[in-house]
Amino acid sequence: MADPTNISVFSLMKARMQMLGERQKVIAQNVANVSTPGFVPSDINQEAFAATLQRMAGHGPAGGPGRTAMAVTQPGHMTAPGGPSLPGVTAHKSPDSETTLDGNAVVVEEQMMKIAETRMDFETMVGLYQKSLGLLRLASRAPGR
Amino acid sequence: MSSDLMSAMGAAATGLRAQSVRIRISAENLANADSTANTPGGDPYRRKAPVFRAYFDREIGADAVKVTGSRLDMSPFELKYDPSHPGADANGYVKLSNVSSLTEMADLREAQRAYEANLNVIESSRAMMLGVVSLLKA
Repeated sequence: MADPTNISVFSLMKARMQMLGERQKVIAQNVANVSTPGFVPSDINQEAFAATLQRMAGHGPAGGPGRTAMAVTQPGHMTAPGGPSLPGVTAHKSPDSETTLDGNAVVVEEQMMKIAETRMDFETMVGLYQKSLGLLRLASRAPGR
Repeated sequence: MSSDLMSAMGAAATGLRAQSVRIRISAENLANADSTANTPGGDPYRRKAPVFRAYFDREIGADAVKVTGSRLDMSPFELKYDPSHPGADANGYVKLSNVSSLTEMADLREAQRAYEANLNVIESSRAMMLGVVSLLKA
């Protein structure tokens, strides 16, 4: 309990911030390759991430609250500790609404929207994190001070 | 997490560099739009086009972009009848360069737009990182 990252709210927020950072990276790759012929943009697979969060919150088949474990889908599977920090964060190809003649499927406007979305979500998470830290601080303060 | 944001900025920086190379090549084309040969029947300036390529940069840790060079535009030259020109051939025709200022201007605009998009990515990533740093302050 001493480590704030072990509290499930914090670990959930941390996971989301990790996902948003990864998403920012993926979008940056798309924008950098806006003139590369044949380039198809990617995005984070949100459903897989939602499933990971469910598991972390303890509503899923594998793992207890506050931690992720590898999914056991076959009787022969062994439960392994660790593994990738966020198994749900995977990028998949997601072409934008238009493809140019040279096969490039990046539309700058749509990527800019995604950037703004990611930034807003990230700032929300930072705000929430700050509020939760404030609550902890409030709880640990000596009474009457 | 912050290394992801650093990768985002690194990828966007390679985008900035690639787009500025593209702007430079466009500027070279525009500057030489009227360059003709000075030997009779010789070829004038031929338009150049940048070649973009996506590659995985291990140092940055993301799919970056680079201009691998420029290719010559092999579209035909226009002919102008000007027998007094030093580059005129035996029939009095001068070959004009195949640079179209309209195409170059459109290309410049597109490069500018892409450049600004990359700047936007850097600015957003920076703001996100500063947000995390501000957690330490409060």
